[in-house]
Amino acid sequence: MSENFANQSNDTPDPNYWRSFKELFKDKETLEKKFNEFEKGVTDDFNPDTNLFGLSRRKFLALLGASAAFAGVACSNYRDKGEIVPYNQQPEEITLGKPNFYASTCTGCVSNCGILIKTREGRPIKVDGNPEHPINQGKICAKGQANILNLYNPERIKNPLKKNYNRFSEVDWKSVDEFIINLLNTSQKEIAIVSHSINSPTTQKLLNELKNVYSNINYYSYELFNDSIRNKAWQKCYGTPHFPLIKWDEAKIILSLESDFLGADCNKIENNRLFSLMRDVDSKKFNRLYVVESGMTLTGINADYRLKIKPENQLEFVLSLLSELKAKGVISSNLEFNYKLDDFIKRNNIDEKKVRFLIKDLSENKGKSIIYAGNSLSEDVHIAVNLLNELLGNKTLFNKNSYPVNISNLSSFDDFIKLVNKIDNNQVDVVIHLNCNPVYHLPEDIEYKKALAKIENVITLTETMNETAQLSKFVLPINHNFESWGDFKTRTGILSLAQPVILPIHNTRQLEAILLTWMAKDASVYDDLIYHDYLKFNWQNSVYNNFFSAIGFDKFWFSALHNGFITFEENTTYDFSFNYSVVTKINSNVDNNSGYTVILRESYSLGDGRFANNGWLQELPHPVSKVTWDNYAAISFNTANELRLKDNDLIEIKLEDRSLKIPVFIQAGNTDKTIVIELGYGREYSGIIASGVGFNANKLLSKNYKISPWIYTNAEVKKVNGKYILASTQEHHSFDIPREQDLHFKRDIVIEGTFAEYLENPNFVKEKQHTQHESIYQPFEYNEVKWGMSIDLNKCLGCGDCVIACNVENNVPVVGKDQVLKSREMQWIRIDRYYSGSPDDPKVSTQPMLCQHCDLAPCENVCPVVATTHSPDGLNQMTYNRCVGTRYCSNNCPYKVRRFNFFDYRDHFKNAYQENPLFALLNNPEVTVRSRGVMEKCTFCIQRIADARSEAIRLDRKVKGSDVTTACQDACPTSAIKFGDINDKEGEFYKYRNHQLGYYSLSVLNIKPNVTYITKLRNTHPEEA
Amino acid sequence: MHNKNLYGITALFDSPDKIISVAKKTAEAGYTRFDINSPYPVHGFDKAMNLKPSKLGFITLVFGLTGSIVALLFMFWTMSIDYPMIIGGKPFFALPAFIPITFEVTVLLASLATVIGMIVFFFKFPENRHPLHNTNYIKQVSKDKFGLVIEASDKNFEYQKVKDFIISLNPIEVEEIYYQEKELLSIIEPKFLTLLLAVALVTSGTTYFVLNELLYMVPFSWMSEQLRLNPQNSCELFADGFGMRMPVKGTVARGFMPYLQKGNSNPTELLENPYLITEENIKLGKSKYLTFCSPCHGNYGDGDSRLRGQFPNPPTLHSKRAQEFKDGMIYHIIVNGQNSMPSYASYLNNEERWAVVNFIRVLQKAKNASDSDLQFVKKENNKNASN
Amino acid sequence: MNIDYSREVPVVEGRLSLAQIEELVAKPLESKPDKKYYIALTISGSALMLGAICLAFSFYYGLGLWGNNQPIGWAYDIVNFVFWIGIGHAGTLISAILFLLRQKWRTGIARFSEAMTIFAVICAGLFPAIHTGRPWLDGYLLPYPNQHSLWVNFTSPLLWDVFAVSTYFTVSLVFWYIGLIPDFATLRDRTDSKLKKTIYSIFSLGWRHSSRHWQHYEKAYMLLAGFATPLVLSVHTIVSFDFAVSILPGWHTTIFPPYFVAGAIFSGFAMVVTVLVVVRKVFNLENIITMDHLDKMNKVILATGMMVGYAYAMEFFIAWYSGVQVEQFAFLNRAFGPYAWAYWIMVSCNVIFPQLFWFRKFRRSIPVMMIIVILVNVGMWFERFVITVTSLHRDFLPSSWAYYTPTLYDIGILIGSFGLFFTLVILFTKTLPVVSISEVKAVAEGAQPSHIGGIVNA
Repeated sequence: MSENFANQSNDTPDPNYWRSFKELFKDKETLEKKFNEFEKGVTDDFNPDTNLFGLSRRKFLALLGASAAFAGVACSNYRDKGEIVPYNQQPEEITLGKPNFYASTCTGCVSNCGILIKTREGRPIKVDGNPEHPINQGKICAKGQANILNLYNPERIKNPLKKNYNRFSEVDWKSVDEFIINLLNTSQKEIAIVSHSINSPTTQKLLNELKNVYSNINYYSYELFNDSIRNKAWQKCYGTPHFPLIKWDEAKIILSLESDFLGADCNKIENNRLFSLMRDVDSKKFNRLYVVESGMTLTGINADYRLKIKPENQLEFVLSLLSELKAKGVISSNLEFNYKLDDFIKRNNIDEKKVRFLIKDLSENKGKSIIYAGNSLSEDVHIAVNLLNELLGNKTLFNKNSYPVNISNLSSFDDFIKLVNKIDNNQVDVVIHLNCNPVYHLPEDIEYKKALAKIENVITLTETMNETAQLSKFVLPINHNFESWGDFKTRTGILSLAQPVILPIHNTRQLEAILLTWMAKDASVYDDLIYHDYLKFNWQNSVYNNFFSAIGFDKFWFSALHNGFITFEENTTYDFSFNYSVVTKINSNVDNNSGYTVILRESYSLGDGRFANNGWLQELPHPVSKVTWDNYAAISFNTANELRLKDNDLIEIKLEDRSLKIPVFIQAGNTDKTIVIELGYGREYSGIIASGVGFNANKLLSKNYKISPWIYTNAEVKKVNGKYILASTQEHHSFDIPREQDLHFKRDIVIEGTFAEYLENPNFVKEKQHTQHESIYQPFEYNEVKWGMSIDLNKCLGCGDCVIACNVENNVPVVGKDQVLKSREMQWIRIDRYYSGSPDDPKVSTQPMLCQHCDLAPCENVCPVVATTHSPDGLNQMTYNRCVGTRYCSNNCPYKVRRFNFFDYRDHFKNAYQENPLFALLNNPEVTVRSRGVMEKCTFCIQRIADARSEAIRLDRKVKGSDVTTACQDACPTSAIKFGDINDKEGEFYKYRNHQLGYYSLSVLNIKPNVTYITKLRNTHPEEA
Repeated sequence: MHNKNLYGITALFDSPDKIISVAKKTAEAGYTRFDINSPYPVHGFDKAMNLKPSKLGFITLVFGLTGSIVALLFMFWTMSIDYPMIIGGKPFFALPAFIPITFEVTVLLASLATVIGMIVFFFKFPENRHPLHNTNYIKQVSKDKFGLVIEASDKNFEYQKVKDFIISLNPIEVEEIYYQEKELLSIIEPKFLTLLLAVALVTSGTTYFVLNELLYMVPFSWMSEQLRLNPQNSCELFADGFGMRMPVKGTVARGFMPYLQKGNSNPTELLENPYLITEENIKLGKSKYLTFCSPCHGNYGDGDSRLRGQFPNPPTLHSKRAQEFKDGMIYHIIVNGQNSMPSYASYLNNEERWAVVNFIRVLQKAKNASDSDLQFVKKENNKNASN
Repeated sequence: MNIDYSREVPVVEGRLSLAQIEELVAKPLESKPDKKYYIALTISGSALMLGAICLAFSFYYGLGLWGNNQPIGWAYDIVNFVFWIGIGHAGTLISAILFLLRQKWRTGIARFSEAMTIFAVICAGLFPAIHTGRPWLDGYLLPYPNQHSLWVNFTSPLLWDVFAVSTYFTVSLVFWYIGLIPDFATLRDRTDSKLKKTIYSIFSLGWRHSSRHWQHYEKAYMLLAGFATPLVLSVHTIVSFDFAVSILPGWHTTIFPPYFVAGAIFSGFAMVVTVLVVVRKVFNLENIITMDHLDKMNKVILATGMMVGYAYAMEFFIAWYSGVQVEQFAFLNRAFGPYAWAYWIMVSCNVIFPQLFWFRKFRRSIPVMMIIVILVNVGMWFERFVITVTSLHRDFLPSSWAYYTPTLYDIGILIGSFGLFFTLVILFTKTLPVVSISEVKAVAEGAQPSHIGGIVNA
């Protein structure tokens, strides 16, 4: 440095000019500055090369290249996809990936419908009706559909349980059997065996034999809901207890009194089918349905005319009808009815016009009308109704070929009271419950629960823990319906068979097999086939020998199993002649009911509570109120105002000494001063799904009732503090804001007309329809098969069976009440319910809503990642693993049928309840199990379409529209849903696709849906303007 | 600090008016490689220095157009050629919907090109080793002075003349700028090579991790692991670990009526053949026969197959006995097996079994046809020919 | 008061010399931050943390933690997105459009508002990324051939967004950087610290204030301004397409593009004013960011506010005029339905309060303008809320109507986005010149040659 400075200083510039004064005076510092160009603090060692731009361009490229080259290293790594476990010996009937079907019988309720269980590689995955079965003809209800979830319910009892010191501990079958056999042998006092009604002849036989072995056995059976009153009345009138089957499909006029014959009462499936045959736009056959009821029911929402009457006034109503008709000379009878219909109408301020229509219709359709009283009405009403039918000559509508039979008679409350007394005086030492739950079901004032505590040896045979099992010493796990053999008889001339489709998943045994073991007095006789052999043997003797001995027994037996039922000639000739003497005994001194009337009904989805632990059913919206996961006290608007109640307010209901706290739900169309509550909720000890859901209204039941066990008058109701939020899937918007009224009509979501209108101008809908709009694009041509659906709103009753069927078929998860409250339910198909008119007398429209698979689908355009597109056969598809979940498609879907997985619901719901490995058996192997953050929706059961297509390829032919049925279509009890190929002009579906009454929901949007709705026609009285 | 060469001579001035006139003078003096440095663009300097207008606009134009064309073509190719899909019933090339992106890409490319072009081609940036840097001169002009620099590389640059010229402009300060040859750095240099290696390892490592590990972890693994049992999956729920279960003994699946004679070698009653000999049926039978039967019985049922001699010889199907068999018997043998022949029940379903039976009948007929048959065949052919 | 209209009002007040301007602007970068600075940073930082935590939770448990539900697929997530994009419009507008309009006064505020643009766009860009159900797969939105050789859907407005927002971000970033280069050079030549010098040198790319460069530089700046102008309009237009292209009543509206752009400028200017008022006080830049600046901006706010108000009215008119029942219902439901409260907040904040800016007194009074601009920000957030949520919560099928209530996570993330924004702003004020040094110098008094230029001295 200094040296440089030296040489610099040699050629010092001539002082005549200078750069600065400093330099002029040769200021050392400045001069030095001149050479090392840097400011102080920034000295020579500051080398711009390394510090400023360390990486030359060349080096940078080298770096880039190197990284890129190495990036590809070892990217192909084979991952183990898990082991493969083939059959050791492949069964003859099983082809991998192809389903098998087994005919069997459903034990979900007393109807015992024939079912067809779909299995994959020996595992049941879906249930449908048995198409050949004469009663339900290929359809089953929501409960039957969801029954498969009970089979795989992780909370089933897996081993026999013995209680010591109030704790249950697992024991082995042998010791239990030995203990119990010994117990039965030694017992000197009565052995009480409690069960539901027995519909199986072989089981009945077994029970009788058991009684022969242990003579001190007494049987008690009950059903929380039954038709014993109806049958008693029939007995009185006609001398036979068998209330006949009704030809609903021939009735022109139906008057339903406080009966939900399309909903929860009797065999819903069969009634729905027969009823819908008279709601047929093609054969132009329409019946007219009058419903006279207190609370809005499924039947009520399908009524052409609906009257609101408190149940205790039904008798007077029928009698007034009688007298009116007699006065009009329609019916001739020497009986005296001194009732004035006009007074009645005034007193109960009901719509006179409607009653007039009713009278007219009844008088004009003698022999073509049917009056049907609900199970819950008193005997007198039934007698009066029988009389009315008799006088109107409606006997013609009674089916004389076959009638329902009850193999076993139900015990009355008195029988149970006797039992309790016996227990109290220590005359009973063993009580055995056969798959029943009397502690929950029986009225509390029978004090069965208290009595049970006094008995040491209480044995309960059950699938899952329940209130009764909780109080037992032994809890013996029994096989599920689908693991069991059995036969059933609910009608004359028909015997159904049940066969297992999978070996017991847990260490359980079939109920009958357990009894057989006890009967043999030897625990070692048990084996899996013990009851199978017993059943077979019994059939050989009782059925085969009597009716079918022509063919070999094996052949007979196997074909019976194959079909799932047999029909045979049974002497059913029973003529009914009316015994008028009973009528005179009718006394209709209407108890002057000052208070409220409480009506207890069977839950649509849970039955009497047996299905309470079934998530799918809990989440199935109530067909009328759309409330899920709870029961409630339904009250009318006026009553609500009277008591200053809002939805979700808590009330306390008092009936004598019985009381219940329950939230209210304001139900349009309910009768004032009545409270309708559904039973089956408020279970305890019955699993994480059911426990604490809803309220146990069985508390209100009483052994000493006036009208019937399900109807109580003079109830006191008062509002209590607090709220309980009910989760409804549909915001029920107010009736009083005009701009929110009748939107479903204003927007052409639902189009309705009257039958008369249709008769005079079949095209009246098409004429109202919007014409096709222009598009700047050429629409895509679908020339091959193009899938479409049509839904006949005349046949759709809004029951919701399709929803469950869809859940089962498509692995739809249960999301739980909290998520329903946030309106995040996942069901792919829903039943929309719309009210129009006044809250007092609303007109109700229902509409199944599912993905419409629009040709110009708005959802597709907006998806940034092409996760939803159209298939060449016209399906709107979701590509789950491409979906990132922007939810834009759902926003842009006018039908709001897309469902988003806000959580991984299998993980989120009740601590991963649905991630239990058992659900792997339940889930349909052909359908993706969706994860969190993915959008999903109805696929038109694309997996079934794929099957049909591959089958068609195998047989090398084109796939036809008729090859595919969707799950909802299979389930629909009224066959309102049709599915097929839009382009196939020969196909049966073509007719529905291009029906005169067909319309597209929201057709104004011109998005060309592939779901056609067929206009709902109301069969109003011709005189109505 | 050797080989220092002169870059140029600079002068500082203190007012915008001044610098403009200086620029004029310098330009007039015939210097071309000179420059004016000012803290901000001074109006009119380009005229004063008589600079040609900037060519930057062309870059912008070219790249802008490229942008729009590329965008359109790309969208056209992806959506209507490479992977066409029906989206909302729109045609594969839905032009109106492509406009926004075309516009955006145009703007993006144009503006980026402009900036990068300017920096790289016009400025030759980054250039932090320019001799002017870190001089007193640059510090002044970047604050509030205005500077003139005449570069030594100018064709008519003579040290003394330029110096005089600059003095004549009476600047407030004059400075000579020197620079040194910069040496290039070589790539083969341990420090850099190790860096290279490190980078390579890191990149390959991450790639490997991402593609082979990360993508199989939660949440990426969601939906690739399904909570359901596909055929031949294992299932820990059952003691035997089989996901596929056996049907329950004694049950009857739809369409699978048990064959009652199963097990007894001489059946008491035989089934009737429910299938007529139709063309499809024979086709089916043939394919099944060739798959399952021919390995032993030979393609034509002569019992002459490649297995001959290795096994107890499979019998010919043209033996008198075989010909006299009822259809039901052959069916029985297929289902039940015979001697060393196993049951084929689980390989052939009911229809296929009967189809095989029919095909065997055909073989037998063909093998020992009589003249009458030939006559018949002739007739058939003529009939076909005639119509 | 008497103003001499014969001569232009000086943009920079107080007759500052070039060196003084530089000093003034560069001071914050050379002085250590004081206590107040750290307090501000802590507040914004903790807001940011809150947001981060809420976000972490929603990633871990799923979007279910938010209030979104079946009809209302979009709520706070997209509302915030549109809100921030709107904020992000003032910057480019000021630097580009006002540049083309030769508005000298822009120089004082351009740099800062551009910075705010970039930060706002960062906040905005966050939301589309996190609002997806499976954020870890957001890469699917980019047009690359994935393992299924699947591309993206170029007809989806959401994809247009991806392009629009990223383009907008890139261009404004470049624009901003170009403006910074000379300042970096200036700072480089001011500093003594070796580290700072290194950094500044890298970013200045070796800028030499050479006139030959200035020539191209000005050209480039002009071109960029030319592009940024249509771009800034296009971005919010495309964002509005997210709604306008759908068929949802209340979204499906042709007025949306201009309406959104006006709204964007409206909210953007409001936000800029909010921040500038503070900044000019804290860094005492009153002479560079003068009351005239604020006055002018308030005028813009007033104007755009009126446009927005017009749009509100026009929406109703068209809904009525269209005669489509669903449309009419959608708008009546906005004003009188369950979300009426949100609607009226929006109207009062965006249309009614800004009317005060008709009066010069209010335009030039710091407290008044502070209140109004904050209200405007609130109002504009609610505008997006009204558009998004109230349209969704009651659409075509009454059966699928529902109500939306935000959860704590929604609110936390909203706060977090503000935290992010202000953290960035605060950091910016200490690391970069908040005012463009070279530009302000250029408009300072006597900075340009007198019209008869060099000739005199010659």
